[in-house]
Amino acid sequence: MQEDYKNYFDTLEVSSDAQFSDVRNSYLHLKALYSSNSIVTSAIEYELSEEKRNDILEQIEEAYAKLADFFSNKEIDSKGGEKPAFSPDEEFKQYVAGITVFSGEALREIRERLGVGLKDMAVFTKIRKQYFEDIELERYSALPAEVYLRGYVIGYANYLSLDPEKVANDYMERYRSAMRANANI
Amino acid sequence: MNNGADKKCEIWAIGGGKGGTGKSFVTSSLGLHLASKGNRVVLIDADLGGANLHTFLGVSKPRNSLTDFFDKKAPLNDIILNCGMSDMGLVSGTLSSLDSENIKYAQKLKLFRQIREIDTDYILIDLGAGSHNNTIDTFLLADKMVVVTLPEITALDNMYHFIKNVFFRKLKMILGAHGLKDMIQDVWKNRDVHGIKHLKDVVDHLMGTSTHVRDILEKELASFSVYIILNQIRNSRETVIGASVRSVCLKFLGFDAQYAGHIEYDETVLRCINKRLPFMLTHPYSHVAKEIGKLTENLKDGRHVSMMADRYARRL
Repeated sequence: MQEDYKNYFDTLEVSSDAQFSDVRNSYLHLKALYSSNSIVTSAIEYELSEEKRNDILEQIEEAYAKLADFFSNKEIDSKGGEKPAFSPDEEFKQYVAGITVFSGEALREIRERLGVGLKDMAVFTKIRKQYFEDIELERYSALPAEVYLRGYVIGYANYLSLDPEKVANDYMERYRSAMRANANI
Repeated sequence: MNNGADKKCEIWAIGGGKGGTGKSFVTSSLGLHLASKGNRVVLIDADLGGANLHTFLGVSKPRNSLTDFFDKKAPLNDIILNCGMSDMGLVSGTLSSLDSENIKYAQKLKLFRQIREIDTDYILIDLGAGSHNNTIDTFLLADKMVVVTLPEITALDNMYHFIKNVFFRKLKMILGAHGLKDMIQDVWKNRDVHGIKHLKDVVDHLMGTSTHVRDILEKELASFSVYIILNQIRNSRETVIGASVRSVCLKFLGFDAQYAGHIEYDETVLRCINKRLPFMLTHPYSHVAKEIGKLTENLKDGRHVSMMADRYARRL
């Protein structure tokens, strides 16, 4: 294993032979720990500057994104995979044209109508199946930071031959307003 | 199980900064679990200001104590009391007159030497509250350093203070042993100049001064680890605090920490203590006893509880 990946595992506080589920669980835990206040961080508040917190959160995001790629590549490596050619009928085209906002649910509906499995998408795009699942269910808190997320949404849209700009803009708008609402609580 | 001669004795010290976190209860319970598995155990009550480890083992008035060692020059081996179980000994810390803060350096060294010479499998040292140098040096003497804390902000605050002092003293000792005694004080005094905000920055700064210092620190700190026990948790969400504290140690304080496990809150424990009944013997099948058994095994093997394994643990 390359030294870089060792550092990413260290950042997420798991051993280098951890499974992806451990990596993900630890990532979610650390993100929650350093983006909010709890007695664990309050007790050491005088040393925990906002700046340092943000540094840590950035490192956590980067480590998670890199490790997600690392695990995807490990699983897919030899399989390759090909993007199927879709020949959608009129009904389907009309359905897509009628969508005003590409929410997670709308995306899932489209994918299911096309009969595409998350796994095939993951194999082709080299983006984790877990991300696509979280995108469809709009599990925002489990998703990586905005910069990474946008890329995954675009990958999703491209695979289904949707307009990537429109899909990403819609989706990220929903994401941002939900995050804002969450922060205001 | 008793392969005394070829097996090296292991010393565990149990501290944690704040009083009332359950250090003595945990120490006695760890000892009772180890003894029940066929290990020979000696417990030492080093809480010289408020010794009561004997109470947790059902001993009302210890016949001998460290007073005999300090005042009457009795060998440590002669003041080990037999208690509870056949394979368990106790060195009581009850002092009649001695000013515990003023134990002379020579006496301290003698005590440490004699602790190492005890013929047993495990020595568990129960430390007092606070971050006095005597307490910290005794803590650093151990092969395994264990802190007991509660899911309360004051307990966590005191624990951070304690382990920071422990780590700082360890750094001083390491550098001192290599003729760099004043280095760490200088760095700390000038921390504003170096842009140092917390302990991890100090380590990073020291590591950056020269490859010589880096090599020394890397070698000496490789085995430095603190084990965390979270006591009296009241709901499953609190178990995650152990993993969180570990993260803070790694990311801010600059040293390795392991989460050994949690013990849930149970009023029966207090009732047993008040009746001077050893809980592990009277309630061996309780949840608390099982949790203590599990975390003792974790400590023994130097194993760490992964956050998820603990979070989804059984009933909680």
